[in-house]
Amino acid sequence: MTASPQTGLLLEHLFRHQAGRMVSRLARLLGPAHLDLAEETVQEAMLRALQTWPYQGVPENAGAWLFRVAHNAAIDAVRRNQVLGEKTEAIVSELTRSATVAPNDPDTEEQLRDDELRMIFMCCHPAMARDASVALSLKTVSGFSVREIARAFLADDAAIAQRLVRAKRQIRDQRLTLELPLGPELKRRLDSVLDVVYFMFNEGYAAHEGESLIRQDLCLEALRLGRLVAASSMAEPRVDALVALMALQAARLPARVDEAGDLVLLEQQDRSRWDQQLIALGFHHFDRSIAGSEVTEYHVQAAIAATHARAAGPEGIDWPVILHLYDQLLAINASPVVALNRAVAVAKVRGAAEALREIEPLNSDPKLRDYYLRLAVHGHLLAELGRRAEAAECFRKALECSCSEPERRFLRRRLREAEQ
Amino acid sequence: MPNYMLLLYDNPAGWRTLSPEEMQKGIEKYMAWTKKPFVVDSKRLGEDAGRVIRSGQGKPRVTDGPYSETKEVLAGYYTIEAANYDEAVQRTLDHPHLEHGGTVEVRHVYGT
Repeated sequence: MTASPQTGLLLEHLFRHQAGRMVSRLARLLGPAHLDLAEETVQEAMLRALQTWPYQGVPENAGAWLFRVAHNAAIDAVRRNQVLGEKTEAIVSELTRSATVAPNDPDTEEQLRDDELRMIFMCCHPAMARDASVALSLKTVSGFSVREIARAFLADDAAIAQRLVRAKRQIRDQRLTLELPLGPELKRRLDSVLDVVYFMFNEGYAAHEGESLIRQDLCLEALRLGRLVAASSMAEPRVDALVALMALQAARLPARVDEAGDLVLLEQQDRSRWDQQLIALGFHHFDRSIAGSEVTEYHVQAAIAATHARAAGPEGIDWPVILHLYDQLLAINASPVVALNRAVAVAKVRGAAEALREIEPLNSDPKLRDYYLRLAVHGHLLAELGRRAEAAECFRKALECSCSEPERRFLRRRLREAEQ
Repeated sequence: MPNYMLLLYDNPAGWRTLSPEEMQKGIEKYMAWTKKPFVVDSKRLGEDAGRVIRSGQGKPRVTDGPYSETKEVLAGYYTIEAANYDEAVQRTLDHPHLEHGGTVEVRHVYGT
């Protein structure tokens, strides 16, 4: 997952990450109402690189080159279209100063990280719908294109483009700023940032056809944004908990599908394919997350992922601990989906019959009745008890629900086993 | 070995919608192509339209670039070695320029 730092001559994802930094910096100097202009000039700089580097070679410091060219493009644009009115010359001189800073200087690095953080915090303003926050963060801070966002969310380009236009209009109309809120307001904003990051991660993590690279990128981008917040002065233990959770789960991505592209359940995964670097990162943040007294949903989810990661093999999984953690999770968030996941742990500790009794109320829950995962778990428990005809019926019903193609293949496999 | 010139025409609109990640991949592909053993030389031309000098009655007439009627701009050129047109074309087919709406004109360099 954390691929080798060098692909050819350029750092992996250099353009994507540099785009995020440059847009954040330029938006700060130009003002968030001119986000479009910031994006256009960054695009302009990258286009220039594309047109010249293949012939002239990559400049010594590629990042600094892009930075300078984007700033110069911004200066030209500001002078040409005069949208900034009387502030033009003041902003031009700020842009001039910003264009020439030393790129590897630690102070500069810190300022750039600060710009990115402010941008994330603005994108996740509570006034903004979550879908809009996600799309806007990916577009501005993460350097994703409209097409890439659309592919990652299985949406169409026009819908994403619309969402971005509306989000930017909202920034202008409601005069959202890059100022960080203070006190309790900051805490609320952080909640909304973490919510957006976690949502982004889960969207990338959800199993879909082809396990396309862009969805993996989405997970890793959520992780990067989480780490950015965790390394900032806004960090709180729950941020570390979320980063730990994402890192430990992302570590399993390479083992989650087999060569045929079929889903492999956690227990059956080849643990040698788990990404050890991400696991180490996960445990590092997990240790930090325990610092405070606060126990959030992220803490408990991270503890569950950590328990799985600690096991040497499927027999080594400490199910009583996992069940205990699910009890805690249910106490924080009494959602039927959590109850469903908990049932799997109940089956491991107290047997399938007990688990079956516990999910009984969920079978008539209006939200879960036609949810493929409930039917899959139900079928799984029945199969464990040898009630194969009933299990087959559950898998058949699950196949009628909406789910992704790899999940569908998995259910078909389970159905065949139950029918044998 | 005979030389062939590849004249690369850009369709700038094709690049505009690329994401940063795709641009980086594009640069990497271009650079890898440029390192192929049969490439003799490559140059990029300025992005401005340039000047055109036409012979006129009495004295030459100078105008700005020739591109007013066309969206495509001559953006750069390569010199490559190839045994004949077939091989020159074959060697050019995987040039990344062709992935984004660009056009490549292949011309034999006379006398090589």
